[in-house]
Amino acid sequence: MTSPSASSRKALSKIASNRLQKELVEWQVNPPTGFKHKVTDNLQRWVIEVNGAPGTLYAGETYQLQVDFPEHYPMEAPQVIFIPPAPLHPHIYSNGHICLDILYDSWSPAMTVSSVCISILSMLSSSTEKQRPADNDRYVKNCRNGRSPKETRWWFHDDKV
Amino acid sequence: MQNQEGNAVDADTVTMTSVQTSEIDDWANFKDDDIMQQQSAIQSEEAGKIPFVGDKEPLSSLAVEYKSGNAILLEKIKVLITQYAALRRTRGDGNCFFRSFMFAYLEHILESQDGAEVDRITVSVEQCRKTLLSLGYAEFTFEDFFALFLEQLENVLQGSEASISHDELVHRSRDQSISDYVVMFFRFVASGEIRKRSEFYEPFIQGLTNTSVEQFCKSMVEPMGEESDHVHITALSEALGVPIRVVYLDRSSCDNGNVVVNHHDFVPSTRDLTNGNVGGSETLKPFITLLYRPGHYDILYPK
Repeated sequence: MTSPSASSRKALSKIASNRLQKELVEWQVNPPTGFKHKVTDNLQRWVIEVNGAPGTLYAGETYQLQVDFPEHYPMEAPQVIFIPPAPLHPHIYSNGHICLDILYDSWSPAMTVSSVCISILSMLSSSTEKQRPADNDRYVKNCRNGRSPKETRWWFHDDKV
Repeated sequence: MQNQEGNAVDADTVTMTSVQTSEIDDWANFKDDDIMQQQSAIQSEEAGKIPFVGDKEPLSSLAVEYKSGNAILLEKIKVLITQYAALRRTRGDGNCFFRSFMFAYLEHILESQDGAEVDRITVSVEQCRKTLLSLGYAEFTFEDFFALFLEQLENVLQGSEASISHDELVHRSRDQSISDYVVMFFRFVASGEIRKRSEFYEPFIQGLTNTSVEQFCKSMVEPMGEESDHVHITALSEALGVPIRVVYLDRSSCDNGNVVVNHHDFVPSTRDLTNGNVGGSETLKPFITLLYRPGHYDILYPK
């Protein structure tokens, strides 16, 4: 029994495409600090370089985020994952999946790629120890069929990391 | 002391993040896939039962629904039947308040052809746009939603090539690509209003949940599917200047045995003006009436 994964996604709707063009222009004019959008001609998949903030556990480290946009963006959340190797963090799995509520249940069209990036960097910056989530191995094993993190039922704790 | 201060700052600035415990040990065989499939099965079942906005039904359908139900509810339905003619159900997907408001408002304009009201709300909408900009929202995040609402508003006024019929309004309200966008427009409006007058809304929000105004808007107003409470209704009514009547169908009863159906009118403060004439204290009568049953809103039609 496999469920549909990100590979079966449909092309962007007209509204989604217009919105993303505007986000891209805004990003170029005013990119969030610590991030670099790697230019491609694919509007539906952005690859973004993240630099760990100075003075945090991830200072001097560089990671890559992959952002895939669904047909009905921004009504639906983008899928955001780290391209492995993912940073060692209690909410980031070794396959790059990120446990962050705004990427799933708490997504809203009022958010942008830029605001999501800032939230992810803030999550990294507030970390006090470099370690994987407790259930990393089991979760990653369950994702072997190429499942998207958006098909995971996440349980969010209100802890402070 | 320093440490405590540090913690206090943390609580305000750190985004809510979390740990996944997707599979509880004892449930090792119960996979996420199964749960997600079950969840979407429940959602599509809900969708199959009722569209975003249903057809108009006689109020007697409520009586049938509670046929062998609670006696107080049955008595209240009898009272409702004397005052209201019909009911229009909306889907219970967490957006029912905004969706009910959308349909009831646009239907009112379509039937009344009240051009003055359209002009008035257009000014309010422009004000909401300025509010969001002043709060630091990027215009591209909300402009499509605003444009879509204004388009519907224009279309329900007759006499232009783009004018639509009542059937078309029903059709659009059931079309996710329009209906959800208009719902989201209202969520932006409500959120902007709450943030703009945060000192006014803060005590109400504190009464509901232990979060800041900012966090409340971010997690309980702006995401689709988050249910509405008094705060959302007040904010939408205030920001758009539209009074809303909510009729409560619940099990509360009076001591003296008389069954009374309670209602509350949300009247925007900007329009709660006493009539200029001496002795006049005419408040605005709501033209939108919603039926509230715990956890859900539908549209009511007065006789």
